Amino acid sequence: MKTYYLEGHNLSKFYEHISASFNLYVPTRIKSPLKVPCEHSFQLPSDDYLLKKYEEAKKEGIVFNDYRSIEPVRIFFTHFKEKVCDYFHGPADKEKNRKPLAICGVKNCDLFALKIQDYVFLEGEQADPLYKSRRENALVISGDCPNFKEACFCRGFDIDPFATKGFDFNLSPLNDGFLLDVASDKAEEIVNALKGILTPANFGQISGRYAKRESVVKRMEEHLCYHQIPKKETLKEIVTAGFNSPVWQEQMQTCVECGACVFACDTCHCFLLADESRKERAERFRIWDGCLYKNFTTVAGGANPLRMRYMRLRNRYLKKFDFFIDNLGFQACCGCGRCIDVCPGRIDIRYILKRLYDEKYLPAA
Amino acid sequence: MMKNIYQPLEAVIEDIKEETSTIKTFTLRPKSDFSFATGQFIELTVPGIGEGPFTPSSDPGIKQRLDVTIMKAGRITAKLHSMQKGDSLGIRGPYGKGYALDKFRGKDIVIVGGGVGLAPLRSLLFSLFSEIHNYNKIILRYGSRTPFDIIYKGSLPEWSKKEKVDALVSVDVGDPGWSGKVGLVTTILDGMPVDLNKAVAIVCGPPIMMKFVTLKLLDLGFQTKDIYLSMEKNMSCGLGKCGHCRLGRYYACKDGPVFTYEEIKDIHDIWD
Repeated sequence: MKTYYLEGHNLSKFYEHISASFNLYVPTRIKSPLKVPCEHSFQLPSDDYLLKKYEEAKKEGIVFNDYRSIEPVRIFFTHFKEKVCDYFHGPADKEKNRKPLAICGVKNCDLFALKIQDYVFLEGEQADPLYKSRRENALVISGDCPNFKEACFCRGFDIDPFATKGFDFNLSPLNDGFLLDVASDKAEEIVNALKGILTPANFGQISGRYAKRESVVKRMEEHLCYHQIPKKETLKEIVTAGFNSPVWQEQMQTCVECGACVFACDTCHCFLLADESRKERAERFRIWDGCLYKNFTTVAGGANPLRMRYMRLRNRYLKKFDFFIDNLGFQACCGCGRCIDVCPGRIDIRYILKRLYDEKYLPAA
Repeated sequence: MMKNIYQPLEAVIEDIKEETSTIKTFTLRPKSDFSFATGQFIELTVPGIGEGPFTPSSDPGIKQRLDVTIMKAGRITAKLHSMQKGDSLGIRGPYGKGYALDKFRGKDIVIVGGGVGLAPLRSLLFSLFSEIHNYNKIILRYGSRTPFDIIYKGSLPEWSKKEKVDALVSVDVGDPGWSGKVGLVTTILDGMPVDLNKAVAIVCGPPIMMKFVTLKLLDLGFQTKDIYLSMEKNMSCGLGKCGHCRLGRYYACKDGPVFTYEEIKDIHDIWD
């Protein structure tokens, strides 16, 4: 992997070049005047970032996002509701003649989550054709996190707030510019056309980045001390052992079944195929679905294995920390904390996991 | 162009047979040949309404048409029951693993069906009949709520006359015209002439029936690995992607829908 240095004022040239052949999305800021004091007395920012179309974002001001965007990155690969076929006619081909995606502002938590999405939509006997074409043609431009939100807890699961693989480009802010990692042939090609604004990174710059990364990790780990998030090696055990834990019922008391946690989630992937008729023909849509909804598992005739709300919350944890660890070897949670940010009932995954851990390993005397 | 996994294949309704007041068997002719292994299921599309999982009930050896026996139970099946010969439906699949015939060969086969759960078992019976020399015997036990609710009324006596076949039907509630057994299907499982060392039991029916049949079979001495169960789940995509039919570490659609009791016995609430 080659690394270059890009002057800050040249970032727009980098974007401009990419937007000529890609449908580029870049980060913009949603300002918030609040600072969130965390239990470790850090004043953590509460601004949010939205990845917007380059042309639109240019008018508002493109920024470098200090941490993950408000929406999960999967939204680019499986849209909330999209037509997957007409019947009985040919297959949906709306991706034809479209520019491929380029997504800037992706973070390492998002890259971790994409491994789950790839497993679901690319692996198995058959791949999802829309996902496959978007994913394979997409240019992923990740970036280091020089800061984090109160809800961020990637380091709790040993996921770094910076990426070392899984991207085409990676941007690390340094001094007044960026270090640019080039990790794919696709990215290499782009770099060849931009040689004028890039200089090979020197040792001082690389070690400068190292120090910056280390300091974010250290600060975050201090912040996470308070939350006592169980180690990832214990997740499967504590979630399965906690099947009859009172925590499910107790934590679901404030749930309003809005589904925000599943839709904000980077690793959630469930969907429903729903048909609509249009005069002579019918259309089929793939729509995001969520296991926190009442009828997620209802069958014809009315039987519903997840009829109670606490069962649905528990099911979500079993899926993330039992099913995926069994089938894929790692948990379907990247620590992005989006579910914590969006929950109007203040249901906190960090707290639930800690409770399950305590019940398993530190039972009251 | 890559295959669109969500695209249904058009299939025309060639025949409709009324089995009971709420159950019909639809014979479909797909627009191109369509094959499935016994026990695999299809996603059946009612155009513009939606799709649901059903296991074909016909002989898997026939490629040009297939039967699906369907009870009117929800939104999609209600619409389906109002459809006529010549109407178009859609099919996707086949999905899942189906019945492991290779593990059944050389054994005594016990088949226990409940209600419309006999439908997938009919397809299994056809498969077994087509290579009957591979099996020691077939013991069919079928339970239905009332004599009116029995499906495949015409075929049952015919099957029971076949060589190596021992069939018995029981109804939960009889009527004056019923001279057969009365009682839950578990009551006709006693005294089956099987060699437990080389027998398998295949069960399909409503969850509550499968639960008690499984307990009964265990009582009788069947091993957990020899009991095959068809798990009913809400399945949308059929491909292990949509997430609806999770069953422990499995998806019912791609790892099932037929599981041995051994595989799922430690999963919570499997009968719900």
